[in-house]
Amino acid sequence: MRYQIVVAGFGGQGVVFLVKVLSICAGKKGYKFLGTENHGMSQRGGSVSSHIKIGDFYNPLIDSAQADLLIGLDRDEAILNLPYLKRCGSVIVNADEFPDIEADVFAVDANKLAEDRVFDAKGLNVFMLGMTLARVKNFPFSIDEVKAAIKEINPKFAPQNFEILSKAFEYEKN
Amino acid sequence: MKITLMGNEAIAYGLLHSNTKMVSGYPGTPSSEILTTVQKLKNNLPVYAQWATNEKVGFEVAYAGAIAGVNSAATMKQVGLNVASDALMSASFIGNKGAFVLIVADDPGFNSSQTEQDSREFARFARIPVVDPATPQEAYDFTKLASEISKNFEIPVMLRTVMRVSHSREIVEIEDNFEFQDKEGDFERNIPRWAAVPRAGRLKQAYAQFDRLDKIREYNYNELIKPKIDHLKDTENLIISSGTAHGYVKEVLEELNLDIDLLKIDMPYPLPVKELKDLIKRYKKVLIVEETYPVIEEEIRSENVYGRMSGHMHKIDEMNKERVLESLSKIGLYEGENIYKPVFIPENPKMRKPNLCPGCPHRDIYFAIKKVFRPKKSIYPSDIGCYTLGINLDAIDTVLCMGASVSMAHGFAVADKNKTVIATIGDSTFFHSGTAPLINAVYQKAKFILVVLDNSTTAMTGRQSTPERVAQGIVDIKKVAEGCGAEVMEYFYKSDINETVNFFKEVKKRFEDAQGPLVVVSRQYCVLDKERVNQFLPGVFATVDEEKCVACDVCTTQYVCPPMFYNERGKIEIDPLLCIGCGVCISGICPTDAFIPRKEEK
Repeated sequence: MRYQIVVAGFGGQGVVFLVKVLSICAGKKGYKFLGTENHGMSQRGGSVSSHIKIGDFYNPLIDSAQADLLIGLDRDEAILNLPYLKRCGSVIVNADEFPDIEADVFAVDANKLAEDRVFDAKGLNVFMLGMTLARVKNFPFSIDEVKAAIKEINPKFAPQNFEILSKAFEYEKN
Repeated sequence: MKITLMGNEAIAYGLLHSNTKMVSGYPGTPSSEILTTVQKLKNNLPVYAQWATNEKVGFEVAYAGAIAGVNSAATMKQVGLNVASDALMSASFIGNKGAFVLIVADDPGFNSSQTEQDSREFARFARIPVVDPATPQEAYDFTKLASEISKNFEIPVMLRTVMRVSHSREIVEIEDNFEFQDKEGDFERNIPRWAAVPRAGRLKQAYAQFDRLDKIREYNYNELIKPKIDHLKDTENLIISSGTAHGYVKEVLEELNLDIDLLKIDMPYPLPVKELKDLIKRYKKVLIVEETYPVIEEEIRSENVYGRMSGHMHKIDEMNKERVLESLSKIGLYEGENIYKPVFIPENPKMRKPNLCPGCPHRDIYFAIKKVFRPKKSIYPSDIGCYTLGINLDAIDTVLCMGASVSMAHGFAVADKNKTVIATIGDSTFFHSGTAPLINAVYQKAKFILVVLDNSTTAMTGRQSTPERVAQGIVDIKKVAEGCGAEVMEYFYKSDINETVNFFKEVKKRFEDAQGPLVVVSRQYCVLDKERVNQFLPGVFATVDEEKCVACDVCTTQYVCPPMFYNERGKIEIDPLLCIGCGVCISGICPTDAFIPRKEEK
């Protein structure tokens, strides 16, 4: 099994939380896992991207044209990170529109949904993970595995996060 | 036991699992989480884990512990080692009784640092062994190995990590049911060793140092390198790598289907040069892949060795697989296509610059400084911290290294008497290395203004505690500055730009009659500091009266708050998801008063 994910966003959007969730999912399934995080200067609202490599890998960085999936918490950040995506890879992006490329792109205007109070803006990261689970067929983890990981990180906030995940599934159906 | 750990957390476990009793250091990306994790993990263990005022202080506190026989460690980022290097160069001669692990985190690619220096080079310069982990798992294993080597050979050992190890997350196998073995320090007097003086004492230690290095070289070969050489397949060509570089090479060889032997070096210094040169002779071509300086390459350079020095490897910046592929192509070991070429290349992608957080008081101080001390007639030296992002407001002229704002302000005041020098420094940086240059300026009557931006935390690196936060009222910046002999003015920050500007007008007046440096202590807060921020933030959220906005750019170029942007109508808009309700823009940033309070919940 080899699956590579780039999560693109900017400081403060909770990219690191997603890395933690997926690392726990991988651990429970017995997959190897390597993920990168950004701390320090880049955290202050600057472009932040995390690379996640699940399976037999030895270094945490993803090279150009290698990622199976790009999760964009922001439209511009997703575009900035497009070089990492492989041909016919998947893109789940928070945007009202996205360039037409040779990939499986799913754009959702999550900012608008947060403004309309469909979910709390702080849960954007979890919402986009929910969209990924609902939409990406070869994603290596199930919703239950993700829920278990979220609960392990913070049992107190888990119910709110589960709610956001189900909002994402509802949205995808409609 | 298997658990998911970030590299820095793995190092913290490694320290505790090698019975490390004393840990000190100074925060710096990408090293900061090592010490904070030890603090979290230690619970009731008798472990000392404390931030020092700077890296040299932290090194020396921990090193004394190692001399007294307890296992110790110091943590810092690579530029921090520059500060601690004075202590290191001598400690390497003197050695230690308990283990002394010097943990240094490098930052290939300048992600959060002023330099890209390779600390393995520093280890070689100081003549101490260095281990170079490639993954969080190795970070754990090598921490224990470093501790063991240090204790056995009575010498400081460097654990050199890099950002991609420290800030990577991996499932790590750690020791089960570890029981910490406590040991009280017991200093044994040995004046010729602990207080060796020039020339005789040190010369003797210098010869001993060479003997010790030879023994470690032998250990490196027998224990770490030879078992790996025995597993090589004797292909035509060889790659030698170390640390993170190894992971890139391993993946490239698999992905390109290349049959090339690969030898990983765990301890890049001291190397068994003779044995490695013998090995090199068995191969046609040998490529060295390491990050970031040619440390191994310099040691074992031969005719058939390729790498940075031979011009076959990129000179600077972080390693990636494409760069390994290019090197292999250059020396003729790969002739296929570049599989790491992007499929999708965005046109004019927008890279988001780091910025001061919405509601950060630093922004107001810089805005006020520029308003009162006009750029044409001023010089703005600054320092290392979050506030370096004042560069976005054009409110910073120079950034050199920790503490340099003060001494450079002094220098500018001497050199350019027609301008007012107004420098900025954070509270943690002031304690780190701001007092020595301030005393220097006071006694020489250098005339400049130094603004200490006191948010009571080391904000940039993740809000580690500062001396005045822990010892409130006991260690105090105002008292320290007064004690240095400087004139001091104190400002209690308010979320109203007029108050801040008026205060700096007072500063300007007072400065006219100043005889030496005038220190301004600005008492503020960090918006990410959950313990304190809510008592300060007024919760006045802003929006824009579009009829009043004339798109003059003052807010986007002079104030630069992240929620502000131009919408499709060419008017400023405030992103409601980013605004944290400081209300300062409403208080008077806009020349046409276009910022107005947002009505409560829709």
